[in-house]
This record gives sequence, structure tokens and C-alpha cells, in this order.
Amino acid sequence: MSVIEIKNLTKYYGKARGVIDVSIDVEQGEIFGFIGPNGAGKSTTIRTLLGLIYPTSGSAKIFGKSCTTNPEVRQEVGYLPSEVFYYDGMRVIDLLRYSASFYRKDCTKRINELAEIMDLDLKRRIDDLSFGNKKKVGIVQGLIHGPKLIILDEPTTGLDPLMQQTFFDLIASENKKGATVFLSSHILREVQKMCERVALIKDGRIIKLERMSALQENNFKRIKVEGLSDLDKTIFDMPGVSKLENGGKTASFLYRGDINNVIRKLAQTEVSNLSIDEPDLEEVFMHYYSKDG
Amino acid sequence: MNIVLRELKANARALVIWSVCMFLCVISGMYKFTAYTSATATGPSINDLLKTMPTSIKALFGFASFDMATMSGYLALLFIYVELVAAIHAALLGAGIIAKEESDKTTEYLMVKPVSRTAIITSKLVAALLNVIVINVVTLVSFLVVVPLYSKGGNASGEILTMILSMFIVQLIFLSLGTVLAAYMRNPKASGSVATGILVTAYFVARITDMSDKLRFLNLISPFKYFDLGRIVAGHGLNLGIVLLSLALVAAFTALTYIFYQKRDLNI
Repeated sequence: MSVIEIKNLTKYYGKARGVIDVSIDVEQGEIFGFIGPNGAGKSTTIRTLLGLIYPTSGSAKIFGKSCTTNPEVRQEVGYLPSEVFYYDGMRVIDLLRYSASFYRKDCTKRINELAEIMDLDLKRRIDDLSFGNKKKVGIVQGLIHGPKLIILDEPTTGLDPLMQQTFFDLIASENKKGATVFLSSHILREVQKMCERVALIKDGRIIKLERMSALQENNFKRIKVEGLSDLDKTIFDMPGVSKLENGGKTASFLYRGDINNVIRKLAQTEVSNLSIDEPDLEEVFMHYYSKDG
Repeated sequence: MNIVLRELKANARALVIWSVCMFLCVISGMYKFTAYTSATATGPSINDLLKTMPTSIKALFGFASFDMATMSGYLALLFIYVELVAAIHAALLGAGIIAKEESDKTTEYLMVKPVSRTAIITSKLVAALLNVIVINVVTLVSFLVVVPLYSKGGNASGEILTMILSMFIVQLIFLSLGTVLAAYMRNPKASGSVATGILVTAYFVARITDMSDKLRFLNLISPFKYFDLGRIVAGHGLNLGIVLLSLALVAAFTALTYIFYQKRDLNI
């Protein structure tokens, strides 16, 4: 069964574009990445999914039900918004107890465990916390009820690198326990590490939905060449080469196609150093993100 | 239930402040009663002065139709202001309690919990209603305690009860006006100002219609005029028909609050 089922979702705010014709299926138990630059429509998609806003057309369902007609399905959903705001004058523990009061489970034990993991002082007043610590409160409050679906919108902003690692370990362990994870981010590294499948969104439209491995393979290679003397500037003018940076003795480019063609070219020249790598997702995605791409 | 408690807690401090204000409003108002009634060695009573004032001026301050020298007449004048304060409280409370999730940006926190928007509105309305009842009871008790201190014989508690009952209905009207505005408006933050704007307009309409009988039809748009204080002072109680119509208005505003809030995209 699909945990998240978004079908032909379109959302306009008046005349302003939110998302256009977005379709995503997330299967039970997977970690799904949702990647796009700021303003591409990631948060719009999530907010429609959670029933905060209504679709202009199409549908967005969780466990086969719409959040607006069946708010009960949110029993099993944990959500971390990109920016966290809480009520004035509450201590961390007050807020977490209030959050827990909405769920049928007893969350007390889990609150203490999570606070321990995330190194969060439950007695502090939320108003006094730094941005990063508020984010930690958000993470804990999104997980106290052991949700079967975890939705994360830009989860790591404000967290220091060490805490980011702790956070990803925590999410990975929740996933091992059976939780499905929907991770929205503009930071590709995060998604690359965690996700099995990704959807790329740009200007409100899904431009690619693929397995992570397929995306990385996709026959792209990052090639760096260093010559003994200056390289012939036209040597890499061939089909399949993109992002060519060519100057003096060195050249670097992305190559997609039969690798033998490059090797033949390289054989014609005296090479002092050569590296052929898997490209970063960043580089692969730039290909889609660039205006003409 | 958890949301009701949360809202009661969040509004507790404001409720104490408003209650104290209400009590001070009543006691300071009553304190002046002596000045209205008794002529002193240095001059005539205010009531004597008032008789020389043009009707339109008197209307503007609200004492066109009452005899200030009697306790119930004076109470009716004071009540106009007390009711205004209670109405402002109700309107601001109604608008605020619905709009606060959006103005404090806690929408994304609360609205992803497994509760329906309808349940959230119900909880908030219950909390708001309890607040309004507290203000109402505080006002009633203030009057019942303070008035006998100044009243020379005669018991006005019947009139006081009727006035406070009519005030409760006016409170409900403005409370539901506040909630419906906050539920409907694109920018719920502004609903408090709009609700107070409407309230002040209604108040001045109520004063202006005192000036001339030709303007009486305008009373329809001013809840402050739904219950005739002259009638209450004369001991005739409330007009049942008007009570029912007012409650129908409250019911309509409340129903619309639910409908608008359910349909709307929430601001985040």
C-alpha cells in the first residue's frame, strides 16, 4: 500500500503558482527524498498533504485518506516544519505534554528518551531557546508518538553538524522500526545519504522521479584530466560532454555516453593525471535545475 | 478538552486584568452617583445642570432618556459604558482566539495534530464562552455589591439582573462577530481591529439614534440598542422576541465561523 499518494496535485494561491500537476507515490518503509530549490513548491506539497491548505485540483492522501476529511489519519503522522514556532510562556516539557495529549498513546517514556538523544533540556522555557534548540524541540515533538509516517521539511537547518548526524541516525532507526520517511530538502547531500528514491521539483513541477541509484548511475562521469603540457582546447569538443572547464594543462567535465570514446581521445594526448568519478548528485541535478536544462 | 484548557491558561492573565477593570469601572461609576443627585452648598446637582443641556448633547453622552436622580436611571447610564467595555472584551477575545494560531504561526504545530478543524473551533468557542461568562458574573457581582452602598433604600437588583442578562447577549453577539471575522478574513490578524471598528460604529449609531426618532431604524445595526434600557429601568424586563432574534444572530455567526474556517486555506 502507498503511504503517501499524491495525484495530479495542482495548487494556485490566487494567481501565484504553488505546484502544478504533481504526482508522487511513497511506499511503506521507504525513505523518499523531495528535492528542489527554495520556492519550488516543496512546502506547498507537504501542506496540502497535511490538510493545512486545499488543492486547486488533484488529490493528496496519507494511508489512502485525505487529512481534511479524515483528520484521524494524522494519529500516525509526525511532522517537522521548516520553521518552528510555539506558544508563548511554555517550557519544553509543557509543550511536549501538550503535543502528547493529542495522541492516544502514552508518550512520557519516549519524550525522555528522545530528549536524551537530542540533548534537550526539558525544563528550559522555549522562548529562551536558540533557533537550533527550538528545532530540536520540533524534532522531538514530531516523534514522541512513534509515527508510522515521518514528514520532514528542511530538517537540518539550524542544527550543528554533530547534531545533524545524531538526527539522521535517529531517523534511520525510526525507519528500521518500520516508519516511512518523506524528506524534503534543498541540500542534496542529506538526501543522497538517506534516500532510496527521489523526486526533483522545479518551478512547481516534478521534473524527475527516480531511484537514487539510477540517478547516480545515469552514465554520468566526472572526468578530470591533467596534461604534461597545455591541452588542446578543442580535444573534448565531442557529443556527451557538458560543464567543460578547460584551461591550460587541466580540463574537467561531465561525460555521458560510451566511455571508450573518451579513452580514445585521451590516448592521443600525454596525460600526467586522470580521475574518473561518480558525479555528485549536485552536479547531476544542476543539469535539471539550470534554466535551460 | 486539551485545547480548551490550553486556551483558558493562555487567556487567564488577560481575564484577570479585564475583570479588575470591570470592577473598577463599576465602582468608580457609582462613586459619582452622589454628585448627580445632591445639590451642594457650592452649586446645583449635575442633574439640574443636565436639564439645561440640549437633547442632542445629552444623547451623545447617553443620558437623554433617563432620570439621573433615580438609582435605576443612573444605573442605565452607567450600564451603557460597562456594556461597551464588556463588548470590546468579547469582540477582541473572539477574533483573537481564532486568529492567534495564524498570527503566532502555530498553525503548523496545531493543525497537523489528529484533530479536525471543527473540534478546534468548538474547543476555542467553549474557552471563549467561559471567559465571557466570568466577565459577566464579575460585572453582576460588582453591581450587586457596590450599588447598595449608594442606594438610599429601594432595591435595584431586579433591574441589575435584567441589564446584565441583556449584556450577556450583547457579549455573545460581539464574541461571535469576532470569531466569524477571524474565520473569514484572508488576514486574520486584522480581524480584531475590524471587529472593534464595527463595535465602535455600532456604539455611535446607538448614541446618534437617541437624538432623533427618525433615525430609529438604524438601531437595527447596533446591538447596543437591541435591548431598550428605558424598558428595563421601568421594570418591564426583556422583549422575548428580541432575545430570540439576537440568539439567532449569534447562532448564524457561529455556524458561519465553522463553515468559513473549514473551507479556508490556513495562513502559515
